Amino acid sequence: MPLPNPLVLQHPVQRNRILLLVGLTAVTLAVNLFGILFGLTAVLSHLLYFPVILASYWYPRRGLIFSVGIAVLYGITVFMITPQDIMIGIATIARGAIIVLVGSVVALLSWNLAESEQQLHDIIEFLPDATFAIDREGRIIAWNRAVETMTGMSKTVMLNRGNYEYALAFYGERRPMLAGLIINNEQQIEEKYPQVRKEAGKLVSEVFLPHFHGDRSMHIRFSATALVDAEGNITGAIESVRDITDQVMIESALEKTSNRLNTLAGILRYDMSRKLAVLYGQLRFGVMKFRDPEIISFIADLKESANGITRQIDISREFRDIGATPPTWIPVQDAIMTAAGRLEFGRVVFHAWTERLEIFSDPHLPTVFYHLLHNSLKEATGATKIVITYQIRENGCAIIIEDDGVGIPDHDKNSLFVQQEDRYGRGLFLAYEIVSLTGMTLRETGVYRESARFELVVPSEGYRVEGMEQ
Amino acid sequence: MNGNNPAPKTPPLIVTTPGSSGDAVSGIRELRVSEFSLADNVWLDYHNTTGDPKTDRIFAAFSSGVIVSLARCRRHRDGLEVDGVFTPENFRKKGYSRRVMDALVEACHNDDLYMYAVRHLTGFYGQFGFKPIPESALPPDIRERYTWATGNLEGADVQPMCRKAGL
Repeated sequence: MPLPNPLVLQHPVQRNRILLLVGLTAVTLAVNLFGILFGLTAVLSHLLYFPVILASYWYPRRGLIFSVGIAVLYGITVFMITPQDIMIGIATIARGAIIVLVGSVVALLSWNLAESEQQLHDIIEFLPDATFAIDREGRIIAWNRAVETMTGMSKTVMLNRGNYEYALAFYGERRPMLAGLIINNEQQIEEKYPQVRKEAGKLVSEVFLPHFHGDRSMHIRFSATALVDAEGNITGAIESVRDITDQVMIESALEKTSNRLNTLAGILRYDMSRKLAVLYGQLRFGVMKFRDPEIISFIADLKESANGITRQIDISREFRDIGATPPTWIPVQDAIMTAAGRLEFGRVVFHAWTERLEIFSDPHLPTVFYHLLHNSLKEATGATKIVITYQIRENGCAIIIEDDGVGIPDHDKNSLFVQQEDRYGRGLFLAYEIVSLTGMTLRETGVYRESARFELVVPSEGYRVEGMEQ
Repeated sequence: MNGNNPAPKTPPLIVTTPGSSGDAVSGIRELRVSEFSLADNVWLDYHNTTGDPKTDRIFAAFSSGVIVSLARCRRHRDGLEVDGVFTPENFRKKGYSRRVMDALVEACHNDDLYMYAVRHLTGFYGQFGFKPIPESALPPDIRERYTWATGNLEGADVQPMCRKAGL
């Protein structure tokens, strides 16, 4: 058996293991020798499994050689001391074979276990995100290459260190980071640390570190989750750290640009609304002043155009607001009712059958239905009935808005939801933009000259029916 | 489910059907889960049928706040089944069942609908687009409901019917 590397003996754990193995091997062989001298060759040989199992478990690569060595030593002892007997010889060889077999099996299992541990270790080691892990006592048990690069602190220095050593690398002071909060089993974390939130079982926090690398500042996203054993007990925590500085800077720049554009659009809307108010006043005055039917008709056309501009202003205002508030679960029937309340149906029959259905959507969902219904209600469609239903499909849920009007010509279907100056206005474009925020799709599937049929398809995770199995 | 639950916070959208103002129906709508117990009470006289929110959509006609007719669309793994079409004795002959069936068919028209119709009502369901089909054409889960008839549906006085999807 090859001798252990002398450096290994300097490590206290390794040294203790080797001393234990040497001692245990010597004792069990001595006990066997003693037993053989007194004619006991069977029972005491089982004691040899202890050093064999331990050696194969701790040192799987040498387990086979070790067990062969033990078996040979045992065999030599028996053959030298006991009288030559064929039965004793066979039994001794069989015992030796079993010792070798036990050592081999344990070594193989331990080898496989070590390999899977190594794979797990490699996964953490080569994760693109800076990642470290701590055990239940807060000692660092993993410190991968990315975190070495980010902090400049090497793994050999950091491993096995406790007392919030990991926080020194980020904050310059010892303090519990997210992983520390998890192993400390802190309650009401979100109340105590407003910057910390829970996302799908993880703790997440974004912070700005003004002096992370000397004078260099950095926006960092921390996320951490508990490591648990088979019984669900927390045995440690793993935390990943991502530099989101570029992302934050881009978002900030976009936000500034968006604010600037919104301000400009707001000024334009305000000015146009004022001019429109004057125009409406003049039109009212014109209706009172003139009696000529031709002029009255002309004024009515002007008013219709002014109404169109008012609607465009409303759309522009809604477009500014979409995505500004987070999506939420919205009862579809409520949204339809809100939309219908803004429209005049006249003699058009309208049925909506979406009771109990809720979808995860931008809060502007009523605007979507408003524009779809507005489209159906246009006089040119000739629709006399509008029906809204839903259909549960394999890939989600389709909300179907159909009317018995002339429908949409095939060549117009692809451009329906694209921003353009055509007869459909920008309402459908706005509707499309709103639903796409939460992964929904909108398309027209009707048959021209038979009906119009808009399908709003909600992904499976984005809908629920009150009380229904999904 | 609680029979004393208040009315749903969002009333259903107006159901306006031209030419239907001759009777006293104050509305036809789909029931919310909190109202299923109201339907169960009405169905006590109809083989003790009960609604299950996990699989059922129930449509009801109301008159003066009281359910006067019901119909149920149940989702099976392999198809939708219509049943529970029932109007209590004292509200019959007023067209309520027709109105409720109209509502159910319109609300669920995107899928094929199947049913076991009592034989003397096949003409009635035929007006909503249901056509008689052989028992073998029923989806297995729906067919299973009448396995006790062991192929003798005529003896059970029921006729399998199907309505193809579409308005």
